[in-house]
Amino acid sequence: MATETSERSRSARERFVGAFTSRASRLGITTGPALIWLFLLLLTPLTFMVAVSFTSVDTFTYQIIWEPTLENYDSLFAGQGPFWQTAFFQSLALSYFIAAVTTVLCLVLAFPLAYLLARRGGTTFKVVIFLVLLPFFTMYLVRAYSWFLMFGPSGVINSTLMRLGIVNGPLNLFNYGVPAIIIGLTHAYFPYMLLSLYASLDGLDFSLTEAARDLGASRTETLKDIILPLVLPGIISGSLFVFVPSLGAFITPRFLGQGKVLMIGQLIEERINSLYAIGYGSAASMFIVLSIVIAFAVAFRYVSIEDLGGV
Amino acid sequence: MATETGETESGTGTVTERGTGTRVLDHETKEWLLSRGFYVVAGALLVFLWIPLAVMVILSFAVNASTFFPFRGFTLAHYTATFADGALMTSLWHSVQVATIAASVATVLGVLSSFALARFSFPFKELYRTFGILPMVIPGVVLGIALLIYFRTLLPQLFGIQIVPGFWTVVLTHSVYGYPFVLLIVTSRLYTFDESLEEAARDLGADPLTVFRDITMPIVAPAIGAGFLFAWIRSFEDFIRAFFVRGTMDVLTTSMFSMIKYGTAPKMNAISSFIVFVIAIVLAVAMNVGNVSGMVAGTEGNDEE
Repeated sequence: MATETSERSRSARERFVGAFTSRASRLGITTGPALIWLFLLLLTPLTFMVAVSFTSVDTFTYQIIWEPTLENYDSLFAGQGPFWQTAFFQSLALSYFIAAVTTVLCLVLAFPLAYLLARRGGTTFKVVIFLVLLPFFTMYLVRAYSWFLMFGPSGVINSTLMRLGIVNGPLNLFNYGVPAIIIGLTHAYFPYMLLSLYASLDGLDFSLTEAARDLGASRTETLKDIILPLVLPGIISGSLFVFVPSLGAFITPRFLGQGKVLMIGQLIEERINSLYAIGYGSAASMFIVLSIVIAFAVAFRYVSIEDLGGV
Repeated sequence: MATETGETESGTGTVTERGTGTRVLDHETKEWLLSRGFYVVAGALLVFLWIPLAVMVILSFAVNASTFFPFRGFTLAHYTATFADGALMTSLWHSVQVATIAASVATVLGVLSSFALARFSFPFKELYRTFGILPMVIPGVVLGIALLIYFRTLLPQLFGIQIVPGFWTVVLTHSVYGYPFVLLIVTSRLYTFDESLEEAARDLGADPLTVFRDITMPIVAPAIGAGFLFAWIRSFEDFIRAFFVRGTMDVLTTSMFSMIKYGTAPKMNAISSFIVFVIAIVLAVAMNVGNVSGMVAGTEGNDEE
């Protein structure tokens, strides 16, 4: 009886192992599930989104009328004045501006810290990385909210300055608006930049910079000719990870803009959630997707896909 | 300011250095200023990263919850009110459930594909890898809307499948979103894996299952754990994707969103600070148990102490 059970279990085990012996089945089992999942929940929805952007929606039944039309793209740029005065174009341009400034700010701020981390080990490294990672792992929403408390006419910054007698009335600089959004986004995506820069600075052989200095290169020359070319992959992947999410940001502009600023993500959300204007939303999304495809196409000329790992 | 520091510094230098110091700042002073400058910038950045969170935590204990002045004292009342809020606690529970199920699915899918990418060569491998990273780089607004249209309009209209947006649509969405994080972490671990260990075990007579259990698993397990943790956190903190596909169900982020929108600072401070505490503890433990910093900074494997 006992031997029979063990024999049966052995054969089950052999069959299980046997399922992995042929190359085709191993490949199928490892690649298949994710492929099905991504096909059903990523490729199909995105493909249909592209299709929907070229169709119209029946205003009464919300049924999609499957006849190709450019109506949605037209409506993005249609309005009273020329196309650059439409809500869509203005919010797209503003989003580019905010995302670009945020990226540059993150790069400039993260570089010294990443450099320091790469040159120091031990306790300094551990403490600093903990101090950076904790805000990084804290919910994005919580961090946007914490800046929401800081800004505003009666926010923490303005009320503290007024209380200390430094200023008489609330400063416009610390009110909600574009500067507040840029600071909030910089805070949100700074760690991505830092970790990308650190990863490439960490692999840098610093004897190269010493050699350059010994051979008479100035500090700026060393930075320009030695360090920057070698950490370029880190700079590019870090910039991607800041620029792309900043472009499609939604929560930060919502809370730190307080209605004064309309970024592209908010505009799309507004049309979809209040009007269920899925054609308009899909067409507008195409511009975000297109921008990102271009950003990645440019980035991949300088970095390989593995360099994007880690974060 | 700079000249002042320069003078005090060259005062401590040797006589020769002072003699040759015809420039405003001599070499040693420059070095000193640069290294101090790095520390000052680094310190300022850490303050920048921490100050809003610190202010929020302090305010969560303050009687008046939105600003420091006039200060009216400390209280725990906001915390007790927050934990007594049934709707908020339900949404927290939803978030935990969604994150756990979605991260588990993402981990299974991610680990399987990682083995495929690291161990086999097959046609369209690069395409497969790129495709796998997509969910991470597609902005939340776009993925959220695409899936909303898919679940609400396309599935019923074209395929006659009814999935009412709610708990399971959020789980499905987050399982796709979490997958690349697992994939990236586990593949990078498998690439550094010494396959001769597996060969040695096979030569010594171990069957494939035993090799997997005794050799492969223990080496890859920390990466799988980290991948799961990443996918879990991503799901837990995601707002925008959940916001579109949640139907009428609330997860923590969507209830917090309405709390900020309708201006209930006391509870928002308390629940946010609570999350900061939990994450601080989890992170401190994880950093001491596993090599989290290396894992995140991509140096895992070459600076394990």
